[in-house]
Amino acid sequence: MKMLKAIDVEDALQNSRGARVDEDVAARFQVGDRVLTRNMHPVGHTRLPRYARARHGTIACDYGVFIFPDTHAAGKGKKPQHLYSVRFAARELWGAEASSRDGVYLDLWDDYLDPA
Amino acid sequence: MSDHHDHDEPLPDTVLRVKALESLLVEKGLVDSAALDVLIDTYETKVGPRNGARVVARAWVDDGYRQRLLEDATAAIAEFGFKGRQSEHMVVVENTPERHNMVVCTLCSCYPWAVLGLPPVWYKSAPYRARAVIEPRGVLAEFGVQLDEDVEIRVWDSTAEIRYLVLPQRPAGTEGMDEDALAALVTRDSMIGVGLPKAPGDG
Amino acid sequence: MNGAHDLGGMHGLGPINPEVNEPVFHAEWERRCFAITVAAGFLGEWNIDMSRYARERMHPTDYLRTSYYEHWLHGLQTLLVERGLLSEEEIAARMRVLGEAGNE
Repeated sequence: MKMLKAIDVEDALQNSRGARVDEDVAARFQVGDRVLTRNMHPVGHTRLPRYARARHGTIACDYGVFIFPDTHAAGKGKKPQHLYSVRFAARELWGAEASSRDGVYLDLWDDYLDPA
Repeated sequence: MSDHHDHDEPLPDTVLRVKALESLLVEKGLVDSAALDVLIDTYETKVGPRNGARVVARAWVDDGYRQRLLEDATAAIAEFGFKGRQSEHMVVVENTPERHNMVVCTLCSCYPWAVLGLPPVWYKSAPYRARAVIEPRGVLAEFGVQLDEDVEIRVWDSTAEIRYLVLPQRPAGTEGMDEDALAALVTRDSMIGVGLPKAPGDG
Repeated sequence: MNGAHDLGGMHGLGPINPEVNEPVFHAEWERRCFAITVAAGFLGEWNIDMSRYARERMHPTDYLRTSYYEHWLHGLQTLLVERGLLSEEEIAARMRVLGEAGNE
């Protein structure tokens, strides 16, 4: 364990590494693919919110390979995989009352998604 | 004003608990008191939404920069030296006459620290986190923003380590203004997407 | 986990009430809580996902009636105790000492 010293604070903040993983992992989806989020309710950590589970969306962007938070939070490794921006129509999430134009974008990993 | 801010008052033990943890951590050599002061000073006086405002103003006057910003925001923002913690993977989303973007983190309070500083209380509050995704137009109305029905709203829920910054539309009547003057019009809320930039002469 | 942190779409929470000219911190305890949390994170004993999970495990009743930095405080104490860096007993004891000193 190493204590953060005052003199190192600026460097530590500026050079924070982030969550991208430099590993060649195959993407399960391409931009434009229709996906269905999993209906999952783990008791551990997850970044798939309840409102977006078992919902149809479209891959809007592939951000590359990132640490998977569900395993990382449990001390079970980084399980590197592709992270995507996924677009959900507001009506898919909230029903007919929602605007037909609006959308919600979530950042979701391969392990949250199935082909639709 | 604290009449609406029912979260202003911490639980009775909170203040004591913070002091207890700090004194124990320092005593055990786990944190350095001087480092704490530097951390606080950094986000209280150095890093804040003026950083993001400079990025936006540059994008408004320099189309080459705007292109770089939309293609690789992390690198384009780092041209100003703004980078690092809670901004390692930046994405800039651009407002247009047809499309309005707003940013939330429903699960915690993820926010692009290097360009906006630490998030305001309302951004971290349960009402904003709950409502931004289900009724963005209602939320925008509370911030005084009324959009036409035919404008598409895109809400970005920051569920990963990607951090979003909204590039607002350049206000009308700002032709000929220089970058510094433009930056003064760029509000924090306009870069989260719950506000619009100030009009020239709004002070 | 299906915790109180997973707020998207919840009703009944009221208006947003942004504060005009809001300061970065509202009290000294917020400054210190922020700083010890960030500094302790650099010990490398846990990662950001573990930090979030520690905050999410706060009881839903407590989560919804407390502020952001109180969530952080709960998360920090949870991690420090779980990693064996501090014990509940020594934290309680230190709070008693500081509380008595403050009341003199």
